[in-house]
Amino acid sequence: MAIMKTSFMRHMLKRGILILFSAMVAVYATVLIANMGGYVDQIIKSEIYMTVSQSVRQNPAFRYLNETQYKKLVEEIYNNELRRLGFDKPFIYRSFNYWKDALTLDLGRALFLSSESGSRSVRLIIAERLPHTILLFTTMNIILFFIGLVGGLALSRKYGSVLDRVVTMLVPLSSLPGWFYGIFMILIFASFFGILPYGGMVDVPPPSDKFEYALSVLKHMVLPILSWLIAYSFFYIYSRRTFFLMFSSEDHVDFAKAKGLPESIIQRRYVLRTVLPYIITDFSLMLISSWMGAIVTETVFSWPGIGSLLYAATNALDGPVIVGLVVIYAYLLAITNFILESLYGILDPRIRTEGGEIGIA
Amino acid sequence: MESRKIRETFKQLFTYKSALIGLLIILGLIIVSIYTIIALPYDTAVELWRAGEKYWLDNPRNALPSWANIFSSKKLPETITLTSEKPKTGVSKAIIPAIGKVSVIRIEFSFNYEYDDFPSELNLFFKAKFNTSSPHLTIHWVKPNGEDIVLKTLSISQEENYYISVDHRLANELKNRISQKLNKSIEYDIPVLASLFAVEDNSIVNPDTVKVMKGIYKLWIEGVIFETDADLDAKLNVYGKVYGWAGTDHLRRDIGIALLWGAPVALAFGVTASLLIAFSNIILAAISAWFRRYIDSFIQRITEIFMTLPFLPTMIMIATFFRPTLLNLLLAVIALSIFSASIKTYRAVFLQVREFPYVEAAKAYGAGNFRIILQYLIPKVLPTLIPSIVLSVPDFVFLEAVLSLLGVGDPLIPTWGKIVEDAFRYGALYKGLYYWVLEPSLMLAITSMGFALLGFTLDKIFNPKLKEM
Amino acid sequence: MSDKHLNVKNFVMYYRTTRGEVKAVDNVSFNLDKGETVAVIGESGCGKSSLAKSLIRVLPRNVSVYRGTVLLDGLNLMELNEKAFEKEIRWVKITYIPQAALNSLNDVLKIGDQMIEPLVVKNKASRGEALEIAAKTLKSLGVSEEFLYRYPFELSGGMRQRVIIAMSLMVKPELMLLDEPTSSLDVLTQANIMNLMKKIKKEYKPSMIFITHDVSLSSELADKVAVMYAGQIVEFNNAEKFYKDPVHPYSRKLMESIPTLRTDKKLDYIPGSPPSLLNPPKGCRFRDRCPWRFEKCVEDPPITFLEKDFYVRCWLSVRG
Repeated sequence: MAIMKTSFMRHMLKRGILILFSAMVAVYATVLIANMGGYVDQIIKSEIYMTVSQSVRQNPAFRYLNETQYKKLVEEIYNNELRRLGFDKPFIYRSFNYWKDALTLDLGRALFLSSESGSRSVRLIIAERLPHTILLFTTMNIILFFIGLVGGLALSRKYGSVLDRVVTMLVPLSSLPGWFYGIFMILIFASFFGILPYGGMVDVPPPSDKFEYALSVLKHMVLPILSWLIAYSFFYIYSRRTFFLMFSSEDHVDFAKAKGLPESIIQRRYVLRTVLPYIITDFSLMLISSWMGAIVTETVFSWPGIGSLLYAATNALDGPVIVGLVVIYAYLLAITNFILESLYGILDPRIRTEGGEIGIA
Repeated sequence: MESRKIRETFKQLFTYKSALIGLLIILGLIIVSIYTIIALPYDTAVELWRAGEKYWLDNPRNALPSWANIFSSKKLPETITLTSEKPKTGVSKAIIPAIGKVSVIRIEFSFNYEYDDFPSELNLFFKAKFNTSSPHLTIHWVKPNGEDIVLKTLSISQEENYYISVDHRLANELKNRISQKLNKSIEYDIPVLASLFAVEDNSIVNPDTVKVMKGIYKLWIEGVIFETDADLDAKLNVYGKVYGWAGTDHLRRDIGIALLWGAPVALAFGVTASLLIAFSNIILAAISAWFRRYIDSFIQRITEIFMTLPFLPTMIMIATFFRPTLLNLLLAVIALSIFSASIKTYRAVFLQVREFPYVEAAKAYGAGNFRIILQYLIPKVLPTLIPSIVLSVPDFVFLEAVLSLLGVGDPLIPTWGKIVEDAFRYGALYKGLYYWVLEPSLMLAITSMGFALLGFTLDKIFNPKLKEM
Repeated sequence: MSDKHLNVKNFVMYYRTTRGEVKAVDNVSFNLDKGETVAVIGESGCGKSSLAKSLIRVLPRNVSVYRGTVLLDGLNLMELNEKAFEKEIRWVKITYIPQAALNSLNDVLKIGDQMIEPLVVKNKASRGEALEIAAKTLKSLGVSEEFLYRYPFELSGGMRQRVIIAMSLMVKPELMLLDEPTSSLDVLTQANIMNLMKKIKKEYKPSMIFITHDVSLSSELADKVAVMYAGQIVEFNNAEKFYKDPVHPYSRKLMESIPTLRTDKKLDYIPGSPPSLLNPPKGCRFRDRCPWRFEKCVEDPPITFLEKDFYVRCWLSVRG
C-alpha cells in the first residue's frame, strides 16, 4: 500500500519531529510568559515554604521548640532550599527545570481546586476532565464535518437554486460563536420551556444503570451540539459547496464525464477525492479553533471538561492549574496537527514525493 | 490599486443588499462611537462606571428600559424623586417657630400615582443641620382614599436614610392593620410596598391579585427641631421599574452608558487587531514565499511554534496573571498573532503569484527584493485577502467579549462583554432580567453581523474563482 | 447521406452566463465518411472546444439550448437519454482527447487506475485484464508500462498526452474527438504526437474530428476541413481543395497568414478580433474584418453548396 512507502514514512517522521519541536518550544514559551510577573516562582516558593514548615512541624526532634525558634528554623531551611533550587540565580536557570516538568506533564499541585477524588495533583485534575471535553467536541466536529461535506456536495449540484440562496443568506450566522447561541438555547429550552437541562453532563444524581447513564449524557449533549449546529452548519456547507464548485468544473471532471463514468464515481473519485486534501486542511483549522471555542461553550453549559476547568481556575486564581492547562492545550494542538497532516499525506500524493513544500504544511 | 478598480468594486458591492446592510451597520457603529467619545469622554465614563451607589442613588435597581412599557399591558412605574431642596409642585416645606428655640417643621410630598404596578423601592433621605440636639420626626403616609398611616417616629442624625420598603417591623404592623380592617387573616407576608400602595379589599388577600390604588399619595413629615439655626431637608424616592433607554443594573447604573461605550471599544479593538495582524501576516508570508530556502524554513518553523501555542488559553493565562488594560491586551493579542496560521494560507497564494510573468520581468530589469514584495506581490494578492480581513474583525470583538465574560477583561472600561458578565454573575437568567443579557448580546450580534455581511459579499466579489459564477 | 459515418445537422449549444446567453455552437453542420478526418479550424473563442464537448455531451452547468441531429452510423445520438448515452456512447463509440492534458488527469489517482476505469466500470473487465491491455497500448505508443504506477504530475506534458491517447485506443472507438491535442506542447513533442496520430489513422482507421487553430498542422491529417468563426461553420470543404484554394474570405486570410518555407510570401494578418459569442452581430459575422465586404453583408449570408455537400457561408459565393 502506498502508505507503507518509505518516502511517506520519512516525510511523516520529519513532520512529526518538527511538530514535536514546535510543541516543546511552545511549552517553553508558556513557562516564560507565565513567569513574566514572577508568578510561577511565587507559586513554587510558597509551596516550598509550606512543605518545609510542614516537615518541620511533623519532625519529632523539633517538637520542643517555641514559636520564635521554630519560625527561625523554618526560615533557615526554607532559604537553604531556595538556594539549592537556584532561586538566587536569574530565572533562566530555573526555567529549564520548569520546562522539563511541563514537558513530562509533572504539573505540580493545585492551589485551590481539587479533583473528584480529592487529590490536588494538577495532572489528575486535568486528566479527569479531559475525556469529557473530547467526547463532546469530537462528536460536534465530526457531525459538522459530515454535514458540511454531504450538504456542500449536494448543494454544489444545485447552484443558483432557491436552496442555494437561502443557505448563502444564512452564512453570516457563523460570525457569532456557538456559545452565543448556546445562551439563547438555554434561555429557550431550559428556562422557558424547561424540556432540556440547563447544563452539566449527567442528571443529578447520575443514574446507576449504564444505559440510562449514556442516555442522560446524550440528553445533556443536545443543547451544546444544537447551538454549534446553528452557528456553523450553514457556514461549513457554504464553504464546502464553494470548494466543490471551484473544483468541479475543472478539466479532469469534464474528462471523467467524457470517459463515460457514472455520476456517482465522478463525484467520489474526481470531485471529492481531489478536493479532500484542501477540505482536511480547512477542517484542521476549524478543529483548532473549536478547541478554543470549547472553553466558553463548556463554561456556558457547565460541561465538566477542561474548558470549564480553565474558567474555574481563572476565577480561583489557581496558577498551577492554569499553566498546566495551557501546556495540555499545546499538546492537544500538536497531536491534532499531526493526525491531520498524516491524513493529508495519505490523501495527496503530491506531498509525499515533492518534499511537502506545496501543500499546507 | 487604481482608483477605477476601487470605484468599480464599490459599484459592484452596492448591488448586493447584504453588503449595504453591513455597511449601514458599520457606519452606524462609527457614528455612535464618535458621538460617545465626544459626549461622554473616556475619563468621565470610567468615573461614572466606578462611582458608587451614592452617585446612582436616584436610579432604580435592575430596571427595565423605558420602552418596555410600550409592549406591556401593565404600565410599569417610572421613578419619582421629590426633594425639599428643590421646591416645585408636590413639595412643600414650612418651619414654624413654636416656643423659644424650638420650631415645628413640616415637609410634605405629594405625587400622582397612575401606574399599574408597584414601585420597586421606597426610600427617604434626610439631611439635617444641627449642633447637638437631633430633630425628632414623625413620618406619615396618606393613601388616595384619605387614610393616614404613621410609618415611623425617629430622631435623626445629620445624614439619615430610611429604607421604607425593607422596614420589616413596618411590614408586620401594616399587615396586621389590613388584616384587622378586612377581618380576614392573611396567609403571606405582605411587602411594605404592597401595603402602602394596594387597594385594600379582598384582592389584597392573595398575592396574585393585589392591585394598585391609583391616585394622589402624600408623605408628610412633622418634626420638632430644637435649635434656632437647625434645618432639615428630605428627599423621597419612589423607585420605578423602568429607567432610561437601556435600563439599569444591580448597582443602579444606567446600562446605556456601557452600551454606548462598548461601540468604540469593540470597533477599535476589533479593527486594529484585525488590520495589524493581517498586515504582519501578509508581509511575513510574502517574505517567506519570495526568499524561499532558509528564510522560508525559518519563518515556517516559527509559525508552527505559534500555531501550537494555544491562543485562547494563553490569552486567558496572560489576562489572569497580569490583568492588563485594554490597550495592553490588544498588544498581547497582536504579539501572539504575528505568526499565525494565516501565514501558511497566504504563503500558498504568494507561491503562485511569484511565478507570474510580470514578476519575472521585474526581476529581470533589476528590481530589488523588497520592491518586488511591496509593489508587485502584495498588491496583486491584497484584493483576495480583504474579505478575510473584514471577516476576522468579529472574531476579535468576541475575543474581548469572551475575556470580559470570563472575568479577566479590563476592569475599568465598561464594555459589552462586561455587561454580559455582570448579568450572569448576578443571576439575570434566574431572575428573568432578560434585557440585561439581551441588550449587550444584541449589540455584539449586530456588530458581528455587520462585518460578516460585508465580508462575505466582498468574498463573492474578490474571490477569483468565483468570479465566473 | 445515409452512408455517412457521422452526420451532424443544425447542431446548437447555447449556455447562460451572468452577462447573457453565449451562442457557442450556432447551427453547425458537417459530415464524415468512415475513417475520414475533418479538421475544425478557427481562432480561440470561436466555439470549437464547445463543439467537441457538446458532441460527447459534456455540457456546461448552465446550458440553455442543446438541439440538432447527430447521426453516428445512422443512430441519432440526440435521441438517446443520458443513461444510454453514458453507457453506450461515451468512451465506447466516441472518445475525447481534451486540450491541455495537464489538467485532465486526476492528480490523486495513479495513471493505471485512470486508464482502466472505463473498462472496469463499463465493460466489467477484471482489473488484471484491463491493466494488461493498458500496458500493451502504452507500449505501442512508446510509453513504458512502469508509468502505470505513477501519478500524472510525475509525467511530462507529452507523456500525459500519450496516456490519454492510449486511453482512447484501448476501447477502439469509432470516432475520436481531438481538441487541440498538441497546443501546449513543444515543437518536437508536437511532431511526435502528430506522427503517432498518423500511425493510428493508418492502423485503426477511426473517424476523427481534429480541432486546431494551427492551419498548417491540420493539413497533416485532414481529409475534410471545416472553418469555424463566431460559433458557425463558414466553410466546409474537401481538404485538398481547401489548402490549395480556400473559398471563404476568412479562410483566405488564414492561409495568407501562414509562413511558407520555400516561397517568398508577404505575411498578412487579420486586423481586429472575433466578435463575442454573447451577442453575435446580425448578418455576416466576419464582415467587420473582411476586406471584401459589401452592402449585402449586413444580412445573414445563405449557405451556398460547392460540390456534393460541401458549402460556404458568404455573399460573395452567391451567384446572381
